[in-house]
Order: sequence, then structure tokens, then C-alpha cells
Amino acid sequence: MKTILSADTMDIPDEVKIKIKAKIIEVEGPRGKLTRNFKHLNLDFQLITDEATGKKKLKIESWFGSRKTTAAIRTALSHVENLIKGVTKGYRYKMRFVYAHFPINASITNTNKSIEIRNFLGEKKVRKVDMLGGVSIVRSEKVKDELILDGNDIELVSRSAALINQKCHVKNKDIRKFLDGIYVSEKGTIVEEE
Amino acid sequence: PFKRYVEIGRVALVNYGKDYGKLVVIVDVIDQNRALVDAPDMVRTQMNFKRLSLTDITIDIKRVPKKKTLIAAMEAADVKNKWENSSWGRKLIVQKRRASLNDFDRFKLMLAKIKRAGLVKQELAKLKKQTTA
Repeated sequence: MKTILSADTMDIPDEVKIKIKAKIIEVEGPRGKLTRNFKHLNLDFQLITDEATGKKKLKIESWFGSRKTTAAIRTALSHVENLIKGVTKGYRYKMRFVYAHFPINASITNTNKSIEIRNFLGEKKVRKVDMLGGVSIVRSEKVKDELILDGNDIELVSRSAALINQKCHVKNKDIRKFLDGIYVSEKGTIVEEE
Repeated sequence: PFKRYVEIGRVALVNYGKDYGKLVVIVDVIDQNRALVDAPDMVRTQMNFKRLSLTDITIDIKRVPKKKTLIAAMEAADVKNKWENSSWGRKLIVQKRRASLNDFDRFKLMLAKIKRAGLVKQELAKLKKQTTA
């Protein structure tokens, strides 16, 4: 069945500036600028100013939508929320090295943009992972065997973390026993809220 | 993104079927696809929304008014004049006129077009002379 109209709104904080043109959303904030293209969705995006409080809101409407297109409203709002968070607080993903016998030897090269992993499980193969655009990687000083990935775009930061994780899969072994690898230990923001 | 809504009192143009070209008022909505539609010179019937093109004009009526109230409301909102003065309405009137020309009218039209083109070319030539001089 088609639902005639389903809509949802979200508040936009004052520090960010949002521009919407033809389903391309541009968010600008203290940490930089992010854009996202929603042309694959069949939704109407509009910025409105709330009469009662005067704050800016983003309104997404779906006219004559099936269940799936109606569900896409909330996910589009979540994507925009992530854009806003990335541009105000940034994203910081922390990864820990886990090894039983062979210490994982990682060196950050290329001005914090790529990482080289040696001696994973004693293998001679050197694994090199380039970070995606806008993501920087650094070895944590205070904590042993920790990597910190920083960036504005959650998609790029989490994808870089996944790339590192996937490069260190164990092959031809019982993975319940050989638990070595680099795992995401914490997903947070760069600017901490007290 | 949407400015013209299907509502009770929305004036629409029929774009398919027996009543092609008529201005009708939506007096009730039957289900997701059909509306009850009425006009001063026709019996109240149901019509699919696909046969209607919504206009900018609305009138102030309650659900399913009697014919008398409907006609009074249309007079109060001055639908006929608003339509004939709107660009859409004027275009339709011109189209109808052009379709109903007979051969002599088309001949007169041709002469008028030639005369107008001649005047425009004269002015253009004057302006050209000014800029090159």
C-alpha cells in the first residue's frame, strides 16, 4: 500500500551551515566541509525554520511511498546527523593489535596517511594500507599497540578501519584459536563532550 | 516541492475523456485514486486523478455542496475570470482559436505575420546601423 505522505524532521545546531540543492547536501562546520549525494532516494529535502523556537530544521518528506521508501526517511536523517557530527566533533576510531606470540610491527608512513604492517603471525608478507581521503592514522603514545584513526567523514574513517582489519585476517587456521589481528576497540569522536 | 494539493475546493482541468478541457471542482475524495468532481454545467461524477490537471485556483466550499452553493462559491472566488487571465488559461484560449481557423483566417494570419516580421526587421536594421556607425 502507498502511504500518502510520511515526513520527519531533525534539528540543525547553530554552528553548522547546511546547503541543499537537488538532493545534494553540503554541511559546513568548524572542522571542515562534507557533501553527500542522495539522488538515489526518492525523497523531498527542505530546510525550514521552526516558528515556535526559531531554530533551523531539516524536513524530509516521502509522497506515495512504499514501506521501503518510507524507511529511507529515517536513514537519510541519520546520514545527515553523521555529517553534522563529523563536521563539528569529528570521528575517532581506535584499533588495538591482538597477538599471541608474534608482535605486530606497524609503522606509519606518508605523513600519517598509510600504515605498513609487518610480522603478522610471523609472516614475511608486508601489508600496506592507504587511508582514504581526509583520514589520518597515528600510533597512540600512551597506550601500547593502539592505532587512532581520525577524520570527518564517518564512512571513510570506518571503511579505513575495516580495510586495516581485513588485511590482517588469518588464513588456513582455526580462527577460534588464532585470534590475532587488528580490531576496532572504540568508536568515538575527536572532540570530547564533558 | 509540491504547491498544488488535492483538496476539497481545488479547481482542476480535465485532460482526458468525455469532458476534455472542462474546469471542474474537486468536491470529495473517494479513495487514493479517485475524486468526486463537479462543475456548474455537468452532473456530479467520479473521476480518476490521472484525468485531472490541478490548477492554482481553489474555492471555499464544504464537502459535497449542493449545486446552488457550488455555483455561488465559484462566483465568489471569480474562477472564470481568474482562469481566463492566467497564463495557462490564456494559452488554452489561443490554442482553441488557432484550431478553429478557416482557410481565409489562415490567409489573413499569414499576411499579418509577414507584416509584423517586416516591421521587426526594419527596427533591427535601424539598430544595426546605429551600432556600426
